[in-house]
Amino acid sequence: MKSRQRAFLLMAMPAVIIFFVFHTYPVLQGVFYSFTNWRGYGEWDFVGFKNYLNVFQDGRALNAYWFTFKFAIVSTILVNIFSLAIAMGLNAKIKFRKTLRALYFLPNILSILIVGFIFNFIFTHFLPDLMEWAGFESLAKNILGDPDLAWLGVVIMTVWQATAFNTILYLAGLQTIPEDVYEAADIDGANAWKKFLKITFPLIAPFFTINMVLAMKNFLMAFDQIVALTNGGPGQATESISLLIYKGGFEGGEFAYQSANAVIYFIIIVIISVFQIRVLQKREVEM
Amino acid sequence: MKRLGLYVVGSLCAGLLLSGCGDQSADGKVDLELFSNKPESIGTYESLIERFEEEHPDINVELYAPPSADTVLRTRLVKEDLPDLLSIAGSALYGELADAELLKDYSDTELLDRIQPAYVEMIDQLVPGENEGTYGLPYATNANAVIYNKEVMNELGLEVPETWDEFIAALETAQEEGVTPVYFTLKDAWTGMIPWNAVAGNLEPDRFAEKKTNGEASFQDDYSEVTEKMLTLLDYGLKDNFQYNYNDGNNAFANGEALFYFQGNWAIPELKKVNPDIELGTFAMPVTNNREENELISGVDVMITSLKETDHPDEVRQFVEFMMEDEQAKQYIEEQYAFSAIEGVEQGDEVLSGVQQKIANNEITSFPDHYYPSGMQAPNLIQEFLIEKDQDAFLNKMDREWEKVIRR
Repeated sequence: MKSRQRAFLLMAMPAVIIFFVFHTYPVLQGVFYSFTNWRGYGEWDFVGFKNYLNVFQDGRALNAYWFTFKFAIVSTILVNIFSLAIAMGLNAKIKFRKTLRALYFLPNILSILIVGFIFNFIFTHFLPDLMEWAGFESLAKNILGDPDLAWLGVVIMTVWQATAFNTILYLAGLQTIPEDVYEAADIDGANAWKKFLKITFPLIAPFFTINMVLAMKNFLMAFDQIVALTNGGPGQATESISLLIYKGGFEGGEFAYQSANAVIYFIIIVIISVFQIRVLQKREVEM
Repeated sequence: MKRLGLYVVGSLCAGLLLSGCGDQSADGKVDLELFSNKPESIGTYESLIERFEEEHPDINVELYAPPSADTVLRTRLVKEDLPDLLSIAGSALYGELADAELLKDYSDTELLDRIQPAYVEMIDQLVPGENEGTYGLPYATNANAVIYNKEVMNELGLEVPETWDEFIAALETAQEEGVTPVYFTLKDAWTGMIPWNAVAGNLEPDRFAEKKTNGEASFQDDYSEVTEKMLTLLDYGLKDNFQYNYNDGNNAFANGEALFYFQGNWAIPELKKVNPDIELGTFAMPVTNNREENELISGVDVMITSLKETDHPDEVRQFVEFMMEDEQAKQYIEEQYAFSAIEGVEQGDEVLSGVQQKIANNEITSFPDHYYPSGMQAPNLIQEFLIEKDQDAFLNKMDREWEKVIRR
């Protein structure tokens, strides 16, 4: 028995070592440097909690937090609504089911940067031209150039791209529900809405939990879609926290300061994820 | 079983170590790495390097010019994996590298004698007090220009304006005739910096950055005319100045959709790529009504420098000297539509003649934003101002952001 345990341990070890070297160690380094005034190179001194205090007074950082949360919450809700609806449709007995499933999965395979450039074209040229042609002069503009609306552009593209992945998870969930439950409900005379509310949704509750947590975590770390669409602009209207950390840290030479920001952000994401799992899992049991 | 584990760890370490070696290539040549922040000049550099390698068969120069080069360079600094030679802009990053004592000091070398003093002074100002010196050789320079479409200009019967009033009158004429006066591409925040630098460079007090840091000057006190004039220019743009980006603008302007385009000399090859037949001209934006006072914004676009600590100082010196020769400098500026920092090497292209004149007369001043702290991200703040149009709030914010970044 003992030698078997050792074999398993040895199988796990390479991954642990690689993970530690390439992930845990840099994280610890980042935490360490967040207490210094390091610019990313050259000399440095310890500055204690100064960086952390400055983050809380930094209007730009607070603005980035506000944008990121607004964006993440709206996107998470929309993605889950759409992907659940699409998954239900694709799970029903319809024609071309396999083809449609493949089609709906396509956005997930496309590189998000490519999708970004396509949407950039749509927002800059296609939509304004369409609006002008239709006679809505006041709507004929690029929403990515408007600080109040640009975030919606980012949401639209993100939802379009992210729905595919969550659809797959929901589909997997739907396929775990045995057919006879529905037959029993039919005999009892339940309508479609009742069936969804009382059977489908409770039975895929674990998938709902995982989808909510994954989507939220992904959107909180939004980076590439914003780089492709607006690069944080106009002004700083669509600057997510990851983008701010990257821009400030590498382009602005504030490595230590943004490390502090990253540490704070890491803690926040952990808290949110744990909170989500707790609340949603409790709900699973109640249902 | 224990040995297997050791083997895994061992091979991992070996992999890490191997990537660190390999300075001397197998054929006995010395390998030098040239890091360039301009993807546009890859072709030119490659042909120059080829010539250099023919003259020096024992040296192999490897060019590395990634996109977002400044960011890549910073990440490489973090890893302490540095190239031998650098070709970078005279911007805040250079100042930081010099301040971190990473670069070779060229102050006492003869190479510096042939370079226009105005450009040497520009890069000297970037290096903060304690480490004063010249840590690079200005090589090619750029200029902030108003590019105009000659055909549209002639149709409107306009001359090249030399004062602010004449400039506004030209914009006015174009607008009345139904021609878009200026094609703004403000979806890309950085393109807003072209007019900003032209206006601010002429209007801000001398050594503004230094005074600002010492508390002797501020945006609120010294920049109100700048913001005023920026808003005036914005009135002569498109229906929505924030709809298009740089690439859209190049396409539209090259196809004759506007009279003026605020861009640098670097945009000219791009415009010619879209429409090879377009006839263009350039001039420096006249920001005041005093003809003699209007200066061209020109900066060190490329400087060549080397690391203080390199394993091959002789070979590095040979390459730097080779690049500073007239023949190479001339080829560089001709292919890149740039100007040379080396005295006597002049840009002969007709499109750029209006701007070259100013450089030859030494009527130049530097890009003000190269002296703003880079952590401030001025382009985005300025883009926001151009949208909101609230001068007081903006100037106040610029002051606060500057101080905040300095304090960190």
